[in-house]
Amino acid sequence: MNYSTSQFKNGLKLILDGNPCSIVNNEIVKPGKGQAFNRVKFKDLITGKTLEKTYKSGESLEGADVMELEMQYLYSDGEKWHFMEPESFEQYDLSEESMGSAVDYLVEQDICTVTLWNNNPITVVPPIQVILEVIDTDPGLKGDTAGTGGKPATLNTGVVVQVPLFVGIGDKVKVDTRTNEYSGRA
Amino acid sequence: MSKVKKNLVHYQDLIIKIREFFYSRKVTEVKTPSLLFSPSTDVYIDSIEVKVNRDISRPTDLYLHTSPELEMKRLLSKGSGDIFQICQVYRDNEYGSNNSNEFTMLEFYRIDFDMHSLVDEIIDLLKMLGKTDAAIKISYAQAFFEYGNIDILNADLEDLKKIANSLGLNSDYDWIEDLQTLLFVHLIEPKISQIPICFIYDYPKEQSALAKIDGPIAHRFELYINGIEIANGYEEIQSADEYRDRFNNELYKRKMIEKKKLLVDEEFLRDIKVGLPHCSGVAIGIERLFSSISL
Repeated sequence: MNYSTSQFKNGLKLILDGNPCSIVNNEIVKPGKGQAFNRVKFKDLITGKTLEKTYKSGESLEGADVMELEMQYLYSDGEKWHFMEPESFEQYDLSEESMGSAVDYLVEQDICTVTLWNNNPITVVPPIQVILEVIDTDPGLKGDTAGTGGKPATLNTGVVVQVPLFVGIGDKVKVDTRTNEYSGRA
Repeated sequence: MSKVKKNLVHYQDLIIKIREFFYSRKVTEVKTPSLLFSPSTDVYIDSIEVKVNRDISRPTDLYLHTSPELEMKRLLSKGSGDIFQICQVYRDNEYGSNNSNEFTMLEFYRIDFDMHSLVDEIIDLLKMLGKTDAAIKISYAQAFFEYGNIDILNADLEDLKKIANSLGLNSDYDWIEDLQTLLFVHLIEPKISQIPICFIYDYPKEQSALAKIDGPIAHRFELYINGIEIANGYEEIQSADEYRDRFNNELYKRKMIEKKKLLVDEEFLRDIKVGLPHCSGVAIGIERLFSSISL
């Protein structure tokens, strides 16, 4: 299905240079003496890069069959990461490359958002906040409960996060996946 | 004071200041008809057609003016001297957040002004309205050279198609001026959006509209405030024959893109038979100006 510039709106998914993209900004520019154009900002859903293009009004682009579904992360076999859509029990898998930074935060059973393009998964967004376990960190100073300083801690997914000094091995911590920051003890 | 009242008073202050600016320079305020017998022939500006009962038996097709330009030029050719007008104008097929089917236009003509003296007068006007940022003046060719590394005046249709393709843009345009505009909108406008007051002057002759042509360029300018087009002005062509040629060229293009067939306004050409005095004129969008000043 094709979409004409008059149907462009934020969030519309279109094919650009062979990749599925999402419109993040659509501006109609009508020069006083010239024809009308749409100046459009896209996000490439595969590479995450932002692109800017200008179309003459009335031009059309091919729509991208893109869906975002909530899925449960099942397991990784070392090469592929496996997910299940809980309603249909349909399973999908992604390569580590497509997983991006989601590999740092997902533990089995977590619910996350998987983007499908032509029914193939292309990206995963982990929940904003995840609970992970500290598997390695230096012992904190005794009596420091205020958390004035910080130290690196390795969590069970392998990701390293700055934590307050009082956090020890075996503690469960909340992490904000957008910023990779410690946001409290779980 | 309510927010509505405050805005109304601000707007009123702007209009008062504009009028005082012109009164103090002995520019006469005029009022020309907004219901016209002939629609604008501009290729990309469409008139709103209205049915008017001038007679009991059948309605007449009239057109709301898209700008007071030709009516004011009638006055100029009859010896009006310097004139200005603030009026409502109407355009069909306008879309987008910065466009509207009806807006307020300030249009003025200055006898014996060339393009650059008119630009300087607009800078004075902006200053008086409280917009005191430094004004940048850059020619169309300089802007393309600086912001796009493109020699726009020496690039032909094929060169521009290649450039559009290299930017991943559709290059399916028949006229060089449309590709120039595409590249301007795509490459230049986003760059000049950082500049508070930017005059672009000396447009390529293909975009002359009704401006005097001088070799590869036309003495036409536009004012952009933070990347938004505010004004369009020319050093005006003077002879009726030249006007006829420009109108015919516009009608030809309208025909090629299958727009409604229009006729040259013969009555206008008859009225300006003696020609216009040497002058420059400009149209300024008041709502856009207002929002750029009250930022």
